[in-house]
Amino acid sequence: MSALVSFHAASLGYGSRTVLSNVSFEVPEGDFLGVVGPNGAGKTTILRSILGTLAPRAGTVSVRPGLRFGYVPQRGAVDAVYPLKVIDVVMMGRYDRIGLGRRPGPGDRALSIEALEHVGISHLAEQQFASLSGGQKQRSLIARALVGKPDMLVLDEPTEGMDLMATTQILGLVRELHASDRLTVLMVSHALNEVANYVNRIALVHQGGFQIGAVDDVMSEPVLSAMYGIPVDVERFDGHRIVVARPGATHRARGTTANA
Amino acid sequence: MLSTILLFREALYGALVIGIACSVLGAYVVLRRIVFVGAALAQLSSAGIALALFLGGLGIGGEFTHHPVVMALVVTLAGALFFGAGGGARASVPPDAAIGVTYAVAAAAGILLIAKAKTGEAHDIFLQGNILGITRSDTLVLLAVCLPVLVVHALFYKEFLFVSFDRETARTLGYKVNRWNLFLYLTLGLVISYSMQYAGVMLVFNYLVIPPVTGLLLARSMRGIFTIAVASAVVASVAGFALSIPFDLPSGPAIIAASGALALVAAGAARLRTN
Repeated sequence: MSALVSFHAASLGYGSRTVLSNVSFEVPEGDFLGVVGPNGAGKTTILRSILGTLAPRAGTVSVRPGLRFGYVPQRGAVDAVYPLKVIDVVMMGRYDRIGLGRRPGPGDRALSIEALEHVGISHLAEQQFASLSGGQKQRSLIARALVGKPDMLVLDEPTEGMDLMATTQILGLVRELHASDRLTVLMVSHALNEVANYVNRIALVHQGGFQIGAVDDVMSEPVLSAMYGIPVDVERFDGHRIVVARPGATHRARGTTANA
Repeated sequence: MLSTILLFREALYGALVIGIACSVLGAYVVLRRIVFVGAALAQLSSAGIALALFLGGLGIGGEFTHHPVVMALVVTLAGALFFGAGGGARASVPPDAAIGVTYAVAAAAGILLIAKAKTGEAHDIFLQGNILGITRSDTLVLLAVCLPVLVVHALFYKEFLFVSFDRETARTLGYKVNRWNLFLYLTLGLVISYSMQYAGVMLVFNYLVIPPVTGLLLARSMRGIFTIAVASAVVASVAGFALSIPFDLPSGPAIIAASGALALVAAGAARLRTN
């Protein structure tokens, strides 16, 4: 499979601050990649480099020519004070195709309803976006990303601030879109336990470190203990992996282990 | 009462042009949570007028620097460029702090320059304006400035909305967000600098904020916000004139009081709707 996105020895950062150095990886077509790490580790930096809104300080970040992203921002980035209907928000995903100074037409509306049906909330099309629950808002934003017919779906913290049920439903929906539409998906999250059970590969970002691989390879005690700097256990329960820090574990520098 | 209003109809027409233009642009000001950018730009405009009067009194510069409209435009557009480009974000100054600093410095500079201007008027004029002094030709100038701005906003409504509502996604879809922001701020600066000549800081700030807030309280769509904002600006202007002339009240504050009353009614109606 060909790579949609390639990082080659890329250094990423803002102003004079380098967040990540010498990062190399590819996102092949059909991949379902979770970029996981704590807040401030550089996940969004990677995401912005992929989307082309942040140029690498060194190395290269290349994107297949003509690649179309479907971007799902964090819910907090979308201001609910605007009196917009769900359908209006979803149609924004068509704006770049509509052209400068032109308004969405019936065709754009039909495609937006179709996208809402795809994520299971077409009945909410005429509702105010601000009145939706967190999960419904997220589905609307996913529909907006899908309506542009993307090659790659990019989600930034899609389950941030959601309860267990909404989290499970959103992650299930994303997995379903990946499987049924053969959509390449890149999902950024700080919640390793959530992401690990849905994606095919994981990229761990922590304190300037970067490690990527298949879920089974990355979700191992030595790798995670070294990455996070504390001893961790990876438990399996009913087919799911759960990462837990050992009781009494204290933080050490990355690459070392600590006694429990 | 109608005959009294008709006596000042030229002033009313001017106020309506200012009210309509500012309330349409004010919808973005309120929704983007940058209401004090409006105040700071209005204050910069008054500082520009004061600078022209100061320089004119001293005989420094030429016709260009002595013209209040030109200097108000130059200073306000410079401010619009500054805020449109991030307003000090590169220097790690929080945006609201940069707005506050600009507002305070522009206000003080305006007062200081007027105090030392040989041809200056009392600085109250900058706060209250002189809405009753608007003539037919002033209204035509205002129309010549505001109408193209409103056409631009109608034409690029989709773009202005998108970069205001969700700039990250807009950027991802290839929108030059910074340029659109700059464009929005420049239209704002243009309308404010011209409106300021006649309406003063307080009234311009009112038109930028209170009618759009009234719209936001009642509307359930963007079109609704614009419609209600414009309607409430028109009603407040007419009501302000109708009350100020017979009761010998200053027109600007009367219009603001009427705008505030409409916003209160809208808040009550919104509360009733949600209960």
